[in-house]
Amino acid sequence: MHLKNRIETKMLRLRFHGRGGQGVKVASRVLGTAAFLEGYYAQDFPLYGAERRGAPIAAFTRISEEPIMERGVITGPDIVIVMDETLLHDPQAMPISGLKEGGIVLINTPHSPMEASAKYKITAQVITLDITKISLDMLGSTILSTLAGAVASRIAGLREDSLRAAVEKELSEIITDRGLLEKNINASLYCFNAIIPVEIKTAGVIQKGSSVITMPFETAEISSPAIIATGNTPLRLTGNWRVFRPVWNYDDCTKCMNCVARCPDGCILVNEDGLPYTDYNNCKGCLICVEECPTKTLGMVREVHA
Amino acid sequence: MEKVMLTGNVAAAWGVRLAEVDFIPVFPVTPQTEIVETLAKWISDGVMDCRFVTMDSEHSMITAAGTASATGARVFTATSSQGLLYGFEMLYTVAGWRVPLVMVNVSRALSSPITLEPDHNDVLAARDSGFLQIHCETCQEVLDSILMAYRLVEDERVLLPIIVNMDGFYLSFTREPVEVPDMERVRRFLPLYQPRHAFFKASQPMAQGVVVLGGSVYSYFKYQMHLASQKALEVYKEVCVEFEKVFGRNYDTIEGFMLDDAEYVLVMTNSFSTIGKAAVKRAREKGIKVGLLRLKLLRPFPEDDIKSVLKGRKAVAVIDQNISIGKGGILHSEIASCLYNLKHRPLLLSFIGGLGGKNISPGEFEFIFNKMITEVDTEEVERCQLLYTEEEWNEMVGLKRIAGKG
Repeated sequence: MHLKNRIETKMLRLRFHGRGGQGVKVASRVLGTAAFLEGYYAQDFPLYGAERRGAPIAAFTRISEEPIMERGVITGPDIVIVMDETLLHDPQAMPISGLKEGGIVLINTPHSPMEASAKYKITAQVITLDITKISLDMLGSTILSTLAGAVASRIAGLREDSLRAAVEKELSEIITDRGLLEKNINASLYCFNAIIPVEIKTAGVIQKGSSVITMPFETAEISSPAIIATGNTPLRLTGNWRVFRPVWNYDDCTKCMNCVARCPDGCILVNEDGLPYTDYNNCKGCLICVEECPTKTLGMVREVHA
Repeated sequence: MEKVMLTGNVAAAWGVRLAEVDFIPVFPVTPQTEIVETLAKWISDGVMDCRFVTMDSEHSMITAAGTASATGARVFTATSSQGLLYGFEMLYTVAGWRVPLVMVNVSRALSSPITLEPDHNDVLAARDSGFLQIHCETCQEVLDSILMAYRLVEDERVLLPIIVNMDGFYLSFTREPVEVPDMERVRRFLPLYQPRHAFFKASQPMAQGVVVLGGSVYSYFKYQMHLASQKALEVYKEVCVEFEKVFGRNYDTIEGFMLDDAEYVLVMTNSFSTIGKAAVKRAREKGIKVGLLRLKLLRPFPEDDIKSVLKGRKAVAVIDQNISIGKGGILHSEIASCLYNLKHRPLLLSFIGGLGGKNISPGEFEFIFNKMITEVDTEEVERCQLLYTEEEWNEMVGLKRIAGKG
């Protein structure tokens, strides 16, 4: 058996990027299991910093025709799956860093490949698919796990039956709702077939070889694990985490201030007319305000990055 | 038997389930918590018959585990880094009780600074305690080692507790294909625990863990522990033979990779041995006769096996994924003392790498191989080298700037 997009070292390395809660880890497992069921050697694992909904998270999958003699994070992927396009502007996430020459980026976005490449200044080959929309339409949620796993499987050159079996296996360990599982299988197969397979033209891993240095001594004034600079959390604008944005229609607002009190991040402020409004720079789109509003003042719309 | 994709943590949980353990006291700590969460779910689902108790700390947890084992129960517990050190005094106490407790440590680098990723300072800190130690490279080995551990330490010639170590993240959260044996086969391999020295029976009261006064009395007990640990080398070899007969997988105290005609040998342990092996393969393609020695059983220290593998080689480089601040690599010191009196001992080099899970790049392995070759020529060995790359240093420069330093 041959990996359709085989490279010199007979291994494909994929990296998934998303935010906590979107199903990044399960996506890497759907791919890993699909490859394993199809007879390849597979290795997958997640890397979390802060284990928190909304925080950037990456997951890795290696697929090989031979036993895998690598460990740890994939710094030179052949394929990157960007499950949340807001990460492309995030200097801490840098989803495309290290992508091999000739590698492929799949971006979850309503944009076309040309629009996405221009917007995010990507020179590598880009494929796009709005899997959030597919998830909302077919699953009624924004959990992208099986769909991202599906597109990755397609790009990696795996078979549809391997994907189906993998989705079945991985989801049955997490959910008991058979109906939801079936919907996931349908949605993932839909995504699988929505991708046109491409050739991955990455060369074998190039040993960039950074040189070994002798670490110089520095006094504890520098080398103690302490931070002197003032905290810079206000600079980190978390507004780009949103999938839906709360919107206001003040006709029915009674100024009850439920929304102000319930917002977990203190992102609802009050203007001089005594009316509440959202700080969209930091609003994470949890929609608690929408749920708690007793009138019809608060609604929500899909946040599409146009 | 079919293989399935399992993380190291779930593979460990399977080992415990198959060992039909009686009692599991727990306390959570990253990156081992998934082990006890998995066991809790199985027990709650009724597929595993076992008592499970959440303790208030690792100190209480290790105490409870050792005590339960002293009543004759088969006991399991798990911890990591800060947790292991929190219960540290109990490690020595429990070992002194001579009870066959099996504990998994999921290695994680120690605070401060606080981190989550692996290195071996936590588990190696326990090397003097009397606990035996088995270190694993793969998720399969984790499952297998737990089964082997019970068989080994419940043997009446041993009766000491044991730590089975796996690397956090690189094994604990990484899925690999694992064969999960069936219960029937495990029962053939692992008999019931039936102690004659430490048990709880109302009709036959006994005092355990007694106080002693007098150095020669204390020394007797400690020497016996040491002798039992050394006996464990022989018992371990028997267990390995049995294990291969029943399950078809072969283990020993050490593992050799491309060693036959190797002039230069890398010594490593745990999951980074995999990338060491890959580096050895690359070097062999360039014509360098290098091999890798992986240490699996660390306590008791397999002195004879190490001597017989390393004697006559030109140079040996020990990569310690640990550091004794102010001295250097822990395993390097142990191997040095083991080789000291050998007539044809190799040059012994020391490298520190992988602290806090730091990657060891192909370039760093090449650096190590070149050092071995050069120093064989010059016959001068430099002191312990702290592996770090220019790229990593540049990253630190940036981070120091953001932190307002330098």
